[in-house]
Amino acid sequence: MEAFNNLMYGFGIALEPMNIAYVFFGVFAGTIIGMLPGLGPISALALMIPITFAMEPSSGLILMAGVYYGAIFGGSTSSILLNAPGVAGTVATSFDGYPMAKQGMAGKALAIAAYSSFIGGTVSIIFLMLVAPMLGRVAVSFGPAEYFALMVLGLTAVVSLSDKSLVKGLIAAVIGVMISIIGIDLQTGTERYTFGSAHLLDGIDFLVVALGIFALAEVFYMLLRGGGGKEQPRNAIGSLKLSGKECRAIAAPIGRSSILGFFTGVLPGAGATIGSFLGYSMEKRLAKDGDTFGKGNIKGVAAPEAANNAACTGSFVPLLTLGVPGSGTTAVLLGALLVMGVTPGPAMIESRPDVFWGVIASMYLGNIFLLVLNLPLIPLIAKILDMPRPLLLSLILIFCMIGVYGMSFSVFDLLLLLAFGLIGLGMRLFGFPAAPLILALILGDIMEESMRRALQISGGDWSIFIDKPISMWLLIIAALSLILPLVKKAIAGARA
Amino acid sequence: MTRLNANQILALCLALVAVGYLAMAWQIPNFPLPRPVDSDLFPKVLGFTLLGLSLLLFLEKPKAQDTPDELDADEQALPLLMRPWSRVVITSIAIATYAVLLAPIGFVVASTTLCFGLAWYYGYRRHGVNLAASLGVVLTLYLTMTKVMGVYLPTGILPL
Repeated sequence: MEAFNNLMYGFGIALEPMNIAYVFFGVFAGTIIGMLPGLGPISALALMIPITFAMEPSSGLILMAGVYYGAIFGGSTSSILLNAPGVAGTVATSFDGYPMAKQGMAGKALAIAAYSSFIGGTVSIIFLMLVAPMLGRVAVSFGPAEYFALMVLGLTAVVSLSDKSLVKGLIAAVIGVMISIIGIDLQTGTERYTFGSAHLLDGIDFLVVALGIFALAEVFYMLLRGGGGKEQPRNAIGSLKLSGKECRAIAAPIGRSSILGFFTGVLPGAGATIGSFLGYSMEKRLAKDGDTFGKGNIKGVAAPEAANNAACTGSFVPLLTLGVPGSGTTAVLLGALLVMGVTPGPAMIESRPDVFWGVIASMYLGNIFLLVLNLPLIPLIAKILDMPRPLLLSLILIFCMIGVYGMSFSVFDLLLLLAFGLIGLGMRLFGFPAAPLILALILGDIMEESMRRALQISGGDWSIFIDKPISMWLLIIAALSLILPLVKKAIAGARA
Repeated sequence: MTRLNANQILALCLALVAVGYLAMAWQIPNFPLPRPVDSDLFPKVLGFTLLGLSLLLFLEKPKAQDTPDELDADEQALPLLMRPWSRVVITSIAIATYAVLLAPIGFVVASTTLCFGLAWYYGYRRHGVNLAASLGVVLTLYLTMTKVMGVYLPTGILPL
């Protein structure tokens, strides 16, 4: 009953006219940005931060949450129509979505994606509503040692689940923490790594880094790969209608993948990409017609789409209840919240119920908008994919520049943005994952503060991190998350 | 002598960064009052961790994803200014010039010029559409930021 009352309170906030407009704008902008190959939810969210920083925190987060799940949904459109996933979380959708499009059933595939995303999103909001406050109550008992261990786990999980080298992921994370400690140490007032520059006293804003290593680096990468100018022919959309038999066939996969997706999203480091692959492979194994997966099976579109949207909502659980993002995308969301003056964590449910319950209620609204927007507008929205790539690239550059300058009014930051764009390009070319860097950049400050507070409490005794059971277990899981992939690789190598 | 692979070259560069970082960590002044943990501890931990990871990277064999893919041969045969790396360099120079000129010539002129100029340079030849799109987007952003959000953006040479 308490959850219901809180949800009603949340709807009071989400249904304010301006917030309805923000949800609508968020899912619309997210859908479009997510559709553009190369620009994922992280870039979409980073581009939105300058718009939200002057807003009420609840409205800002409502807008950004809309952009997030809109981008995940939008990614499916380019996956299905072009076989060019705009978002990593929709790669699995292209396995069967694109073959369907080639068979003249793009409309059907897009409609299945819309329904599955809607159901996946809605089911996971119910779970979020129930699970988050419970987890929040547990997290209230966390001290600095537990927080430090939790952040270490968040980082190692993101690194270990990346498809790139473990060592490179860890290097990216360490460099992210190194960037985060530039500036004045708030505990002692000591300058660290400022090179005597007054511009660096306040540190480097995470937006500069996020826009640089994601959006700007993506532009540079597209320029290296021929400016992305080679347009692919688009297939006809076809009918959007589903038969009763088709609806029955996808019902169970959507239900299963929604639940699986939510719990995958809750785990630090997992999220939409892993959720969608797990959903896809689970259905492939369970289906009687599993051999037709990859050739245009409707269940192969429904399962990953339900799972990725559910995982996207699930990833809000650690962010809102523990204040620790489990992925690069939610790390950008955390950064945006900090810019707006809100520190997510267990206390937020009590201290800022407007933000917490407002966002949850807005997600119901956002999912309805996604469905209403996407079904009738699919043919129109798909035309955006025809935007000339040269124009698109130069517009993205302008968005990056205004995003940074509008926040800091600093020419120095614009030059830093360029530097991080080039660093991001180098990382991409040499196989360094970018998500651990951005996550570490956001967590670095809090991580150091937690570590130092814990050590101050213990009088400098490092055993405090293993004396406390929660902290010890979190650190053991963190270590296992790094060791297990190596062991698995070694076993696979020995078998081969 | 065996040639170093991509990972080994990167590892050496990162090890140099780590050593420089550690050297600077030792120069962080101590807080006047004794504390169990001072400002230099975390940087030292990070520096040594990066050094250790550089060593591991040095020993790791590079996979396909660890080295840049070959660039398109047709693209490489284009005139020097149109080649892939030239596009990155010229875009970087354009961004740096934009940063320096933004305040003197103003947001609208600088941004429209950058947007139009780069789209033209990347090969978009419908100049009317390019100008309309560049000016339209920049003006919309400018008016939203200044009139709706109350953010000041330099007007420069335009009496806006």
